[in-house]
Amino acid sequence: MKDFMLLFLGPTYEELGLSPEELQERMGKWFAWGKKMEEQGILRGGDALYGHGKRVSGPDRIVSDGPFVESKELIGGYYTVAVENYEQAIEVSQDYPDFDLGGAVEIREVVKFEQQ
Amino acid sequence: MVDHLFRHQYGKMVAILVKIFGPSHLATIEDALQDTFLKASLQWRQEMPHNPEAWFIAASKNRVLDLLRQIRAREQREADFPHSSVAREINEYFLDHEVEDSQLRMLFLACNPSFSRSEQICFALKTISGFSQKEIANALLEKEETIKKRLQRARQKIKAEQNSLSYPAPSQIEDHLQGVQQIIYLIFNEGFHSNRRDSLINKDLCGEALRLCKLLLSKENFRSGAIYALFALLCFNSSRLESKVSNQEIVDLKNQDRSQWYLPLIQLGRDSLMRSLADFEDRSAYHYEALIAYEHIKASSFEATDWSAILDYYQQLYKLLPHDAVLLSRASVLLQMKKFEAARQTLNQIEASKLAARAYLYEAAWAELYSADAQWEQAKEHLQKAIKSCSNQLEQDYLKKKLADINKV
Repeated sequence: MKDFMLLFLGPTYEELGLSPEELQERMGKWFAWGKKMEEQGILRGGDALYGHGKRVSGPDRIVSDGPFVESKELIGGYYTVAVENYEQAIEVSQDYPDFDLGGAVEIREVVKFEQQ
Repeated sequence: MVDHLFRHQYGKMVAILVKIFGPSHLATIEDALQDTFLKASLQWRQEMPHNPEAWFIAASKNRVLDLLRQIRAREQREADFPHSSVAREINEYFLDHEVEDSQLRMLFLACNPSFSRSEQICFALKTISGFSQKEIANALLEKEETIKKRLQRARQKIKAEQNSLSYPAPSQIEDHLQGVQQIIYLIFNEGFHSNRRDSLINKDLCGEALRLCKLLLSKENFRSGAIYALFALLCFNSSRLESKVSNQEIVDLKNQDRSQWYLPLIQLGRDSLMRSLADFEDRSAYHYEALIAYEHIKASSFEATDWSAILDYYQQLYKLLPHDAVLLSRASVLLQMKKFEAARQTLNQIEASKLAARAYLYEAAWAELYSADAQWEQAKEHLQKAIKSCSNQLEQDYLKKKLADINKV
C-alpha cells in the first residue's frame, strides 16, 4: 500500500460567484465523496484551503501576500489516500466534484521511509 | 440536509441584516453573507454541524458585529446602531416572527416603484431568493451581463433613495401589494412557461413564487381575496408541473396523465380558492385565472372539460384585463368548443405584435382553425410562421410534430 496526495487545482468558489444553492450542492458532493473514501478505509486525511495566503522566499526570507498563481493553478485543498498504485488513485479521483468548474486533480505519491 | 437550506437561509439572513443596518448597506451585507456561506460549504465538506440552521444564525450574529465595526469605521461616525445591549437586541431580530416580517419588508423593497419591472424581478430573485446572477440569467433566458447591470442599477437606486426597510404608508399599501403580487405571478410564470430543457431551474422559480406568496399570506392584515386567489392559481399550476414535460418533450393538456397531478397541491389550491371567494369581497384577475385552472383540474379527462364555464371566466377576465393574450386564450377555448366562426372573429380582433413572445401561439391557433376546416395549405403556412417566431426549443419541437402530422394527411 502506498500513500498518494490528491491536490485540487482550480478557481475558488468565491471567484466563480456560486450561489448559496450551488454551494450547498457542491458541499453535499464533497461530503459524500469523503464519506465514501472513509467507508472504503482509504482516507488518510485532508483539508480545504483558503485562497489567500503568505509566501516566504529567498535568502532574505521576503514575505509576500498571495495568491501567487493563476486561479486555475490555485490549490484549493488536498486529500491523502492509501491505495495500491496510480491507477487506483486515478479511480478514486473520478468522484472529485469540480471537474465541470474547470478544476483538476493532481496526484502525487508520498515518499515513505523504508526500513532497509 | 434540507433541500434549499442555503438558499432559504441566505434570504432570511439578508432580510435580518438589512433590517438592522438599512437597505443602503445592502452590498456590504451581501458580500459578508456570501463569505459566510462560502465558509460553510468548505467546512462542512468534512463534518456537518448537528443543527445547520443554528450554525447560520450564530454566524450571522457574528457578522452583525463585524458589520457594525466595518460600517462605523467607514462612515467615521457613531451611527445610530444599538450600542450597549447590542447582543440582547440583536437576538430579538432573529426571532422567527421577526425574520418573517423582515422578509416581507424585503418583498416590498423589491417592489420599489423606481425599479423597472425587470429590475424588480431580478432584485427579488437575488436578495430574497439567493439566486446568483448566472442562475437568474439562466432562468430568465437573458445574458448574465444584462442581469448584472439590472442589479447594479437597482442597488444604486436604493442607495440614492436612502430607504429604510419600512412598510409603505397605509395609503400606498394597496398599490404596493399589487406590485408584490405581480412579481410573484411573474416569477412563477417564468418558471412555468419557459419550458427549458433543464427543468430544474423552472421548478425552483415556481417553488420560490409559492414560498413568497405563502409569506404574504402569513401577515393577517395583508390578506385579500386576490392573494388567496393568486395562491390557488400557483398551487393548481404547480400540481401539474411534473406532467408538463416528459422525456424532454412537451405534453399538452390534452395528453397529460391526469393521475400524475399532485393531489396535495390541488387540495391546497381548492381551499385557498374557496376562501378567496367566500371570505373576501374583492374580485381580481387572479380569481378568474384560478377558476379557469380549477376547471381544467376538475375535469376527469380533456374531453370532460366544461368549456362553456371556462369561456365565461375568460369573458370576466377580459373585462378586468383587456389584453390580447386573454383574447387568444378565448379563441383557443372556442376552437375546443368547435365554434369556429366565433373563434375566427376573436382571432381577427388580435394584434399579433402585442403578444410579443407569445405570437407563435397566435399563429398556432390560426393553424388549428384552418386544420379544422381541412384547409391544409393555410394551416401549414401558419404553423411554419409559428415555428419561426418561437424561441423555445421544446415548443418548437412540439409545433414541428404538428406540422409533420399535417404533412401526413
